[in-house]
Amino acid sequence: MHELTKKFGDFIAVDHITFQVKKGEIFGFLGANGAGKTTAMKMMCGLLRPSSGIATIAGYDLKTQSKQIKKRIGYMSQKFSLYNDLSVTENMQLYGTIYGVKPAALQVRIRESLKDLGMEKYADKLVGAIPLGWKQKLAFATALLHKPDIVFLDEPTSGVDPIVRREFWDRIYKTASTGVTIFVTTHYMDEAEYCERICIMSNGKVMMIGTPTQIKTDIGVDSIEAVFSKFVKR
Amino acid sequence: MKELAMILKKEFWHILRDRVSLFLMLSMPIVLVLLFGFTISSEIRNAKIAILDHSMDSQSKNLIEKISASGYFQVVSYPDNETEIDRDFKSKGGKLALIIPANFEESLAKEQIATLQIINDVSDLNVASILNNYIRSVIYDFTSDYNDLATDPLLFDISVKMEYNQEMNSVYMFVPGIITLIMIIVTALMSSITLSREMETGTMNMLLITPVKKVYVVIGKLIPYMFLSFICTIIILVLSVLVFHMPIRGNLLTLFVLCVIFMLTSASFGLMISALVKTQLDAMMMTMMGLFLPTVLLSGFLFPLDNMPYFFQLLANVFPAKWFIIAIKDVMIKGSGLHEIWLYMLILFGMAVFLITISLSRIDKRRKK
Repeated sequence: MHELTKKFGDFIAVDHITFQVKKGEIFGFLGANGAGKTTAMKMMCGLLRPSSGIATIAGYDLKTQSKQIKKRIGYMSQKFSLYNDLSVTENMQLYGTIYGVKPAALQVRIRESLKDLGMEKYADKLVGAIPLGWKQKLAFATALLHKPDIVFLDEPTSGVDPIVRREFWDRIYKTASTGVTIFVTTHYMDEAEYCERICIMSNGKVMMIGTPTQIKTDIGVDSIEAVFSKFVKR
Repeated sequence: MKELAMILKKEFWHILRDRVSLFLMLSMPIVLVLLFGFTISSEIRNAKIAILDHSMDSQSKNLIEKISASGYFQVVSYPDNETEIDRDFKSKGGKLALIIPANFEESLAKEQIATLQIINDVSDLNVASILNNYIRSVIYDFTSDYNDLATDPLLFDISVKMEYNQEMNSVYMFVPGIITLIMIIVTALMSSITLSREMETGTMNMLLITPVKKVYVVIGKLIPYMFLSFICTIIILVLSVLVFHMPIRGNLLTLFVLCVIFMLTSASFGLMISALVKTQLDAMMMTMMGLFLPTVLLSGFLFPLDNMPYFFQLLANVFPAKWFIIAIKDVMIKGSGLHEIWLYMLILFGMAVFLITISLSRIDKRRKK
């Protein structure tokens, strides 16, 4: 990712950001509301077109090969993005199919991931009727059905209780260990500590990149929260 | 193709799960047809008429008999002079008065001419003009009967002949109108609401991130509602044929092709509206104000276009309903074929192509911005 920029009229939402994410890494994207996290992520997913700059995602060029990129990435949004009036299985069928997973393979994968989540009993329940924590785990599993190289998680744990958040991060680790790159935005500072490397954004600019320990040492504070409040005050 | 099938399946799941909307959509045509059919009828039966007969001869009796036998009129009084007519209008609810001149029979026979005077209560303009037409046709019947027998035919001839809708049946007017309204509600309104709902809840972003073609997402949204509105159209047609004896004189296939084209136009209106707004509520308001209201007022369904100021007549051309109503009336009532209504179909189809093109480019622009 090099000098990626997004302008909305005169407003520069994302200002020449440059960074690299390694395969299989858990990369955290931090910033206050309006710092440009979501905009940057939307560009990477192909929802928004960059105003300038270049980016390579999963080995494909963002500008010219967005079709190939779309097949290689998974996405889960901050707002719950499954259909409430469809059942658990139906939601998974829908996304699996439009990502081009073959029906037979899809059946197997759906069964496996429901078993893995311990959600078999919810299989035919409408998504609207299951608890939020379960929904988030389900959305994550759904984003993985087509075995993407990279998964973008946009504030995946907002609004769920600490226990579920912990479970969710266990899943993230498990997924990353299979070689899937995790790109996650969050505003929970304790979650930032779980990431292998983090990037702090403010006013559309990248302020710092590094491992949580590295950043804390550089600034001379003992928590990411303290790092963060320093940047927000500026 | 598998992706499109999946999206269609998903949309049908949505529709079938939302039982209330589904029930409303399917019952609306039934309620509307029955409501319009039984209440908003422009047909008047047994209107009260006062007859002032100055001649009291056999021909005037013939005429009076014809009037009361027509079914349209009920003779409530035989006033003796003009002032009593006014009294009967007020006290006996008379809507119409007929004055037969003295020596009616004689002047018919000798001069082949007679002057009848009709007095209307125009406090309700619609009723007055309808009754006026009725009495004219009764008098026309009377003169033609007279001419059949007479050696010297009458010179005057009210040449009013009602074409295509001799019975002046109001069902002919409202069925095409209801089909239009239902199609707009089901295709334009519902598809714009569900599209903007997906934008509101964020699931639209989810779909756009997937590799599925954008066109599939849009087509997948439009087809199920077009299908539903087709079912509604069939319900309306069956009801109007069975209950109100509406004829379908044209080719059924032509009629269906016409309906499908109009559905496409109206669905693309819905698509454009959802490309312009951000929320479901806006989509609903916009469809109501921008499409539904003009359709009711400017389609010629309730109010004849010919009587409108020129500006509104021009404006009506922009809305698809006008063209559709002309075409569907031609097919159903006049029995016109494809070669007579192709121009209307072309206009509707052109509108659809235009709307789909600009809304897709708008959705694209929104993404690039």
